[in-house]
Amino acid sequence: MTAVLQVEKLCKSFGGITAVNDVSFDVREGEILGIIGPNGSGKSTLFNCVLGQLSPNSGEVRVDGRVTTGMRPCDLNRIGVSRTFQLLQVFPQLSVRDNLILAGQEHRGSMFSRLIGQSDAGLTPTAEQMISFFRLSHLADEQAGLLSYGQQKLLDAAMAFMAGPRLVLLDEPAGGVNLTMLGNLRERLQAYHAERKATFVVIEHQMEFVMALCTRVLVLAEGRIIAEGKPDEVRRDSAVIEAYLGH
Amino acid sequence: MSRVGVAALLLAAALAVIVPFFLKPFGIYLLSMWAVLTIAAIGLNLTLGYAGQISLAQGAFIGIGAYTTALLMQIGVPYALAFAAAGTLCFAIGWILGYPALRVQHHYLAFVTLAFTTLVFLFLRNEEWLTGGIYGISGIKRPVFFGWSTAKPLDFYFFCLAVLVALSLATWWMLRSPWGRAFVALRENPIRALSLGVDTRRYTLMAFAIGSSLGGLSGALFAPLVQFLEPASFGLNRSFDLLLMVIVGGSGYFFGPFVGALISVLLPEWMRITEGYYLIIYALLVMLLMMFCPSGVIGLFERIQRMMRRRPSGLAEVQTS
Repeated sequence: MTAVLQVEKLCKSFGGITAVNDVSFDVREGEILGIIGPNGSGKSTLFNCVLGQLSPNSGEVRVDGRVTTGMRPCDLNRIGVSRTFQLLQVFPQLSVRDNLILAGQEHRGSMFSRLIGQSDAGLTPTAEQMISFFRLSHLADEQAGLLSYGQQKLLDAAMAFMAGPRLVLLDEPAGGVNLTMLGNLRERLQAYHAERKATFVVIEHQMEFVMALCTRVLVLAEGRIIAEGKPDEVRRDSAVIEAYLGH
Repeated sequence: MSRVGVAALLLAAALAVIVPFFLKPFGIYLLSMWAVLTIAAIGLNLTLGYAGQISLAQGAFIGIGAYTTALLMQIGVPYALAFAAAGTLCFAIGWILGYPALRVQHHYLAFVTLAFTTLVFLFLRNEEWLTGGIYGISGIKRPVFFGWSTAKPLDFYFFCLAVLVALSLATWWMLRSPWGRAFVALRENPIRALSLGVDTRRYTLMAFAIGSSLGGLSGALFAPLVQFLEPASFGLNRSFDLLLMVIVGGSGYFFGPFVGALISVLLPEWMRITEGYYLIIYALLVMLLMMFCPSGVIGLFERIQRMMRRRPSGLAEVQTS
């Protein structure tokens, strides 16, 4: 299987603290890779380095074999790498539909052609599809800021999928979501994954969510990968138990 | 737009055409000033209201546009060309002024643009060889188009109104295109926008450039309207006044600048009867509006309309079910 994402010897430090320390891994096409680890283990820093929000001190990131280290997030997004955020990140004043159209419009034509073209960049049908897929149809015209927390999480995920990305990085999708909504979110992510054969990387604290969703799990502690394997194997790994429980 | 909104728009358009026929030259002058400053306010509303980039430089751009137009006309350049040159020059300078906005935001950005305004003012005052210094430039002629002279107040007013309509339509088109959505995204959440492929750098510069260019075009009308330019017209006061127009009218609302400019141009004249108290009353009115309706007059209008309709919220039903 080909690797969609390759991370090689990535290091990132802030002052004297090494947040990500010589991390290497591949993400294979079509898999759902979970990255877990205690607070401060470097998960978010790793994500931000991969996504161009932070520039790593050393190491390399490749998407489909192409080096993307140093690329800006918007350019990375346009070659098919999408993300969701840990904290809510929708555009509160825009309607649900406009949030989705925005999430896809920059992938259509050039900046100038978008100025003279259609108002919705021809994306209304795709947005409607996404709205019904994430069961938000009754809210399509509402301002996103008026939605409940869980509904905004669904919208956030829908936005990440809007442009049909090749690789989606989900940063704590389950954080702060109630159990009903959590099941709903997981089921929708799995359905999307099955339907579109997309590749996911998920950072998560919520163990049950990771175990149910992911096909493979990496465990980070103090900036290093300490374990890797199928969810069940990782759960029994003594190094992981120690990192989490501090025995 | 709601039915009430369309009715209000049609009424306002009819008034803008009919009212000047019943006014004395000074009244027509004020209405022309309204049309001219509205164009600059539309530009600032784009930069500030939609894209969320504060600028205290819009007055300076009117100045650059006005001086460019006057100076080019002095050496015999046709008005239409001078008009285009004013817009283009301000687009370029606005683009450059946008670079600081890529690094600093909010009140820091306000200070950068404020410094720019001071710089332009000093340039206009000190570079006498070009701008005439404090003596300014006088005797600016009003343009003639294919035999139609705009020298008379009424003719010039309709020329300004036509330019206002054309530029409003162009801005409206841009704001309803994907660009408008990207500008709002820039204002509401630049980091998320960036992760969705929105080139925030380019859109920020574009918001500054287009907004400034509208300031320049406003200046290109300002010069032949007042027919006399002096640096003091384009100091900080002018920029603050434009900021007030945008905020009072309703920042981020398409028709906000129209209302804001009307209030800012007409209210001082109406309140002349209160003599020395005018500024105090004006300041009080602005404070009250900001306290009770920070989204400006258009925001207030929208709120009243919503209250009157009292539509059942689909959202509330869903959340309780």
